[in-house]
Amino acid sequence: MGLIDRLRRSSHPAPAPRESLFDDDFQRKLEMLAIVSRRVFSGRLRAERRSKKKGSGVEFADHRDYVPGDDFRYVDWNVFQRFGRLLVRLYEEEEDLGIYFLIDCSSSMTFGGRKKFDQARRLCAALAYVGLANLDRVTIVALSDEVTARMPTTRGKGRIFKVFEFLSSLEPSGLTDLGSALTTFVAQHKRRGLAVLISDLYDPQGFEAGINVLRFNKFEPYVLNVFDRRDGHPELKGDLRLYDCETGEEREVTVTPGVLKRMERALTEYREGVERFCTSRQVPYFAADVEVPFEEQVLDLFRRGGFLR
Amino acid sequence: MHFAGLPLTTLLAIFGGVGATAVVLYLLKLRRRAVPVPFARIWDHVLRDKESSQLFSQLKRWLSLLLQLILLAALVLAIGDPRFGEASTRGRSIVVLIDASLSMQAVDVKPTRLAQAKLEAKRFVRGLGSSDRAMVVQMDMLPTPLSTLSSEPSELEAAIDQVRAEDTPADLARALAFAEDTLRGLNDPEVVLVSDGALDTSGASSHIPIEILPVGSGDTNVAITEFSARRYPLDKSRVEVMLEVTNTNDRPQEIELSLLGDGVLVDVTRLLIGPNERLPRFYSDISGASRRLEARIKLGAGKIDDLPADDRAYALMPERRRARVLVVTRGNTYLEAALLLDEYLDVSFVEPSAYPPKERFDVTILDGVAPTLVPSTGAGLFLNPPPDKSPIKLDKPITEFGFDRWNKKSPLLRFLALGDVQVARGYRIVPDKGDEVLGESDLGPILVSGMRSGQRVVVMSFDPRDSDFVLRPAWPLFVLGAIDAFIEEDTGYLSSFRTGAPWRIPAASSAETAELTTPRADKVIVPVKEGRAAYFGNKAGFYKLRSLGPEASEHEFAANVGDPAESRIKPEPKLKIAGKAARVAVPGTPGVRHRFWAYLLLFVAVASVIEWITYHRRVTV
Repeated sequence: MGLIDRLRRSSHPAPAPRESLFDDDFQRKLEMLAIVSRRVFSGRLRAERRSKKKGSGVEFADHRDYVPGDDFRYVDWNVFQRFGRLLVRLYEEEEDLGIYFLIDCSSSMTFGGRKKFDQARRLCAALAYVGLANLDRVTIVALSDEVTARMPTTRGKGRIFKVFEFLSSLEPSGLTDLGSALTTFVAQHKRRGLAVLISDLYDPQGFEAGINVLRFNKFEPYVLNVFDRRDGHPELKGDLRLYDCETGEEREVTVTPGVLKRMERALTEYREGVERFCTSRQVPYFAADVEVPFEEQVLDLFRRGGFLR
Repeated sequence: MHFAGLPLTTLLAIFGGVGATAVVLYLLKLRRRAVPVPFARIWDHVLRDKESSQLFSQLKRWLSLLLQLILLAALVLAIGDPRFGEASTRGRSIVVLIDASLSMQAVDVKPTRLAQAKLEAKRFVRGLGSSDRAMVVQMDMLPTPLSTLSSEPSELEAAIDQVRAEDTPADLARALAFAEDTLRGLNDPEVVLVSDGALDTSGASSHIPIEILPVGSGDTNVAITEFSARRYPLDKSRVEVMLEVTNTNDRPQEIELSLLGDGVLVDVTRLLIGPNERLPRFYSDISGASRRLEARIKLGAGKIDDLPADDRAYALMPERRRARVLVVTRGNTYLEAALLLDEYLDVSFVEPSAYPPKERFDVTILDGVAPTLVPSTGAGLFLNPPPDKSPIKLDKPITEFGFDRWNKKSPLLRFLALGDVQVARGYRIVPDKGDEVLGESDLGPILVSGMRSGQRVVVMSFDPRDSDFVLRPAWPLFVLGAIDAFIEEDTGYLSSFRTGAPWRIPAASSAETAELTTPRADKVIVPVKEGRAAYFGNKAGFYKLRSLGPEASEHEFAANVGDPAESRIKPEPKLKIAGKAARVAVPGTPGVRHRFWAYLLLFVAVASVIEWITYHRRVTV
């Protein structure tokens, strides 16, 4: 029986045809989204993202005490004249901040026929295109319980095919452990930026850990919660032994209509819990239904703001 | 409790095997189907709510297994056909005699005594012990077994349904002898008699205990116990009817007696008949009836008595037609004179050389000649045939003799005084096997009847003119009696048969079988031997007999109730047989005993349906 179970489990994920994911139609839609994004954000300069980093920009930010080794050119002599203290002028450093797309590549993303994973990749590609078109530095990182793949930082919309190629090469597997994976991610990426987490957030360790890692390391997290409504409406009946498609954890359940209703309610509450967590921590949150076309969701994202400033 | 089907050890073995299989299957069923889910932690929230009922759920599973084992046990028990209430496996062997005699047609209990008897018999067989076996026997003049010795109530009840009342008395002695033969050597034999007790117990005895299930209550009955009719020999248009009415009660009864000829009322008489009186009635001249006669009685004020079956009687007249008689003679004045006496004879005289003629005849009288008899000329009366040509062998000549002995019951010689007939010369007859000697002298047979080539012949071995026979009144009566006997129109013609006796019904002599249509419209094939169809008649009414064969013929006859004693219908619940009073049988309690297996199956079916419905509604899981 154990062998049968293993066979059943291993045969569950069904690979989807890769070439259909980013076809011509998809690319036309990306172009449309790029035009729309330019209209929405017209008048903005390129690489306008403002860094918190103090440095060699032109806009005054603050003073600090002079320490030996500081560039004399930045000493504020007027203050010295008035107060007799050596203070150094600090300026906000303007730099083109990076956008990190953190895409969940755990096994749960393929549950129910890869719809979640495909939707996540489309959203990732679309947003990456918009970012590339705005000359942002775009980095894509694949996660499960660790960083499984990384597309090097790139910019310019001509690199979108590299994005496609990278996303197409991803194959979900493994457990979800956002806390662990994102700890690795922040250690590898010193340059802070917008971190768009695209995941179903089915993390046995708790989704909070991953988001907190980003927050605490001064990234600007943006949570895209990809969900499939069928997860809350499983076609189950009778006496079953349910096992987690990632961890293999088992639960013995007798599924009745009442149990299915409770299941739907529990899943809704789980998503509401994620949203509540994000909202309370001023982390933008967007729930992406796999049944809604990705372009509509991207436009919705634009309307709600927060992704592009 | 014991098992009529498989023995207990076998049942236990079956239950062990099937039960173990059920448990294994159940355990396999408990191994749940593995289904993947995207995030098992979500289910924890769902299952947390269910935990409170987890213990009850587990308990329900074991209850479900227990229920399945109980259902299996019930099925195995059903296979064993459990029986209760009988500690012993030695059951009784019972012959149930159901009285189907005439008196059981009484309507004093509704609808009839026989119907009541059937109900009592069914109640009895339903209450039989599980090891008891019974046989249902219809008891009328002859006992008729309707079932085998069976312990199956449905089979016995079906046999009881076949019982039908006959118009005969019941022969209790014969039925008890049959029962004794049937039960010889069997365990605890017993005879149960379902009857009104109006039986002739003389000669009846039994070594087997007899119980009775009595039926019947009333005794008001007036019956037609005799009914006979005949045509006058010399005026066949006139009919004489004799009838006897019997009151079987201790109370006088006023009755209305009707006589119908061919379905038309020809006479109605009101009579007052005393207690237990037998009242004969004669109708010397009934005109208007040519064929069928029927008598009916009713009580005063149009009421009917308790036994309507004996309130009717039937008779059938012989056909009134001219008999065609051929006389082959060289001249015989005495013979011609005798034949002149019956105006219903169509007589033709021919010389011996003209025989056989082209026409057909019923009877041929051959005077002094003995040509080979041809079928178209009917039966033959040979008077003084030549010794070398006689159809019945003639021996040496004899002289000076007379009728020293003769068959007074023969239709030819009935009512004749032949003792002083003197014969000068003649021959002694040597009868063959099967021939009947009608008259003989001390010197040997002189009048013999027999069958030759399928035709009846009577040989008189002397010339009547060589005796004083022709001078006596007996001569023309003999000649006419012989003719009537040949054509079945003798003066003593049996106008009706009596039920409860073997009948020998006239039929075509060449036929071997005949089809008999009974008053119930049943058609029965009966054997015919020597021109007589044999049948054991048990129903009063008009019958029709059709001879099957080259000489197909059809005629009717009537039958009446045979035994006047059967009209005495007073019930005798305390029947005494051979001096011992029969115990009244007490039927057992009918119920689930015999069909306990069926109730087990019903229980299994109902429990399965409930379990199935609750399973699908997730009540029992």
